[in-house]
Amino acid sequence: MLKISNLHATIDGKEILRGLDLEVRAGEVHAIMGPNGSGKSTLAQVLAGRDTYEVTGGSVEYLGHDLLELEPEERARKGVFLAFQYPVEIPGVNNVYMLKAALNARLKAAGDEEMDAMAFMKLVREKMKLMQMDPSFLHRAVNEGFSGGEKKRNEILQMAVLEPKLAVLDETDSGLDIDALKVVAEGVNSLRSPDRAMVLVTHYQRLLDYIEPDYVHVLSGGRIVRSGDKSLALELEARGYDWLQPEAVNA
Amino acid sequence: MSAVLDSLRSAWTEASPTLPGDGARRARALEEFLAAGLPTVREEDWKYTSLKRLDNRTATLPVMPDATAGGALAERLGVQGLDGPRLVFVNGHFVPSASDAGDTRLEIGSLGAALAAGFPHDRLGSVIDLQRYRFAQLNAALFADGAVVRAPRGVVEPRPVYLLFLTLGDEDALPIVQPRIWIEAEAGAELTVIEHHTGERGDALSNVVTEAVAHDNSRITHFRVQEQAPAHIHIAGLNIRLERDARVHSHNIDFGGGLVRNDLHARLVAPGAELTLDGLYFTGGTQHVDNHTRVDHLAPQTRSTEDYRGVLDGQSRAVFNGKVLVAEDAQKIEAHQSNPNLLLNRRCEVDTKPELEIYADDVKCSHGATVGQLDTTALFYLRSRGIDADTARSLLTFAFANDVIGRIGVEPLRERLAAQVLGRLPEGESIRELT
Ligand SMILES: Nc1ncnc2c1ncn2[C@@H]1O[C@H](COP(=O)(O)OP(=O)(O)OP(=O)(O)O)[C@@H](O)[C@H]1O
Ligand SMILES: [Mg+2]
Repeated sequence: MLKISNLHATIDGKEILRGLDLEVRAGEVHAIMGPNGSGKSTLAQVLAGRDTYEVTGGSVEYLGHDLLELEPEERARKGVFLAFQYPVEIPGVNNVYMLKAALNARLKAAGDEEMDAMAFMKLVREKMKLMQMDPSFLHRAVNEGFSGGEKKRNEILQMAVLEPKLAVLDETDSGLDIDALKVVAEGVNSLRSPDRAMVLVTHYQRLLDYIEPDYVHVLSGGRIVRSGDKSLALELEARGYDWLQPEAVNA
Repeated sequence: MSAVLDSLRSAWTEASPTLPGDGARRARALEEFLAAGLPTVREEDWKYTSLKRLDNRTATLPVMPDATAGGALAERLGVQGLDGPRLVFVNGHFVPSASDAGDTRLEIGSLGAALAAGFPHDRLGSVIDLQRYRFAQLNAALFADGAVVRAPRGVVEPRPVYLLFLTLGDEDALPIVQPRIWIEAEAGAELTVIEHHTGERGDALSNVVTEAVAHDNSRITHFRVQEQAPAHIHIAGLNIRLERDARVHSHNIDFGGGLVRNDLHARLVAPGAELTLDGLYFTGGTQHVDNHTRVDHLAPQTRSTEDYRGVLDGQSRAVFNGKVLVAEDAQKIEAHQSNPNLLLNRRCEVDTKPELEIYADDVKCSHGATVGQLDTTALFYLRSRGIDADTARSLLTFAFANDVIGRIGVEPLRERLAAQVLGRLPEGESIRELT
């Protein structure tokens, strides 16, 4: 589904991703861990199409498309979803209508019929219940004044409504209390299916207790320096990152 | 003397026998205006706004179109769906057949009729600092008509009084249209006035003067909505006096006109007075819109909050100068001012300047002016959800403007203005429900 080869990316002339390789097949869940500043969010943002990063080398293939050639909205419409590490507040833009526009843009691009307001509201209310979100969030502006945890839930609500094919979750677990973590994990698990894939960026083994990954990778110094199964996460929890290629970690 | 001043004198000579009110008063005002002449960019207050384009024009008295045409124009350009009284003016002349003073306890009528019935002429100008605001003298000399809206003591009228000023320009000459408006809420009264300036065709100059007095514990909500034709030169003075515990909310919206200058001067003269100033200018093409606001806190325990915002497109230019004065001994004052500007491209320009003059020590004042582009992080967030770039840009622009429009309590007006903003934005029609 997703094949990243030798990806290089810079921001303001500083190289952050330095030859990153990663392959994700449909149905799989991958966890990416790694020290602060190693480039995890950079990878996530590059996959979603943020143009402040310049891709200076390598390729990304997604469902047969050259992903890097697509505009952010085209990627979204083809099923890529990024849950932001820091969801953005957009005053004056209604949360639920934004989501409706997003869903309809996606349906339209796929040649499907757009959803009317009634059907859409029914869908959103269902998903909000799943996310244990108060219906008052329907009427608020996108993320405006949401607490840290509420913002993360809102990201997963969006994901649940948009049903992406490839979801990249950037530290969605950070800042969540235990109950919220379970709710978010449930939301994610409910989307697991043979034709979807997920990439979870996280610092904590805790999330992986609830969402069991097929693979765990360590991103360090802009590259994947180690890959393994879920036991790698336990090992990282116990030993930290220092034992892994110190020169890359400190780069 | 420049050609335009000459032509103003001739216009006055021609018109004066027919003008209502005290002729000698008018003559004095004319002489004072002509002696001072048009402001030039050498004056600090007019530094960024040149009236040079007026110098060689010939000002003429506007022709009065027939009443039927006026009525049809009012239907076409006016705000629909308002349920209150309405007075219609075409080129400064009252059109009774298109107007309906309605059934209210307010005193509403044309200024000409009011003067004829004994409204004291010398009340006009009493709210204005004539030294500072020269165009009021020109208006005082030449106004043909206007409106008087008064709420007697304790009268509360929730329905807005709609004053529609239609201007029809001319291709060659420069008709000058000078409406004069007197608004007054007596003690404990409440009223809402919509001043709507719109029109079509060619050039014209309008020089509007409004005075509003809010007596003790009264409330005035005032809208000035300006949607003139692109060639129009629009000069407007809004002068407000707030007495004890009075509340005034002014909304100042500029969408139209080629050259626009607003001078708003509010004086809070007694404790408990509270003023809210909302402003929005959305400019494009080669439009030039200049807002000079001045709030004088002359008494303790008074509050003012000002939010003027600008959206600039094309090669347009905006000027904002917000002066706040807190007089000596006017303690326990709050005055907040903000002027955010959104530039949709790099060819537009804004000059913004707060001016605080504070002579008291127990005051809470804040001001902030910003000039910037759309937030790229927010744009990316929307696009990452599948919303196309044009829609995302329009959505953020609309949300910015809607901060001001959303505070408009008169629904048909709010809807109309929101629709106009959307109408100027790509994909605008599809994003109405998103906000
Ligand atoms: N505008 C910029 N100029 C220079 N360096 C930048 C810029 N933006 C980000 N960086 C750097 O890029 C590196 C990678 O950042 P990134 O956000 O991808 O890290 P991360 O792995 O997600 O870290 P964390 O675990 O803390 O979220 C960091 O060292 C960061 O300081
Ligand atoms: Mg990060």
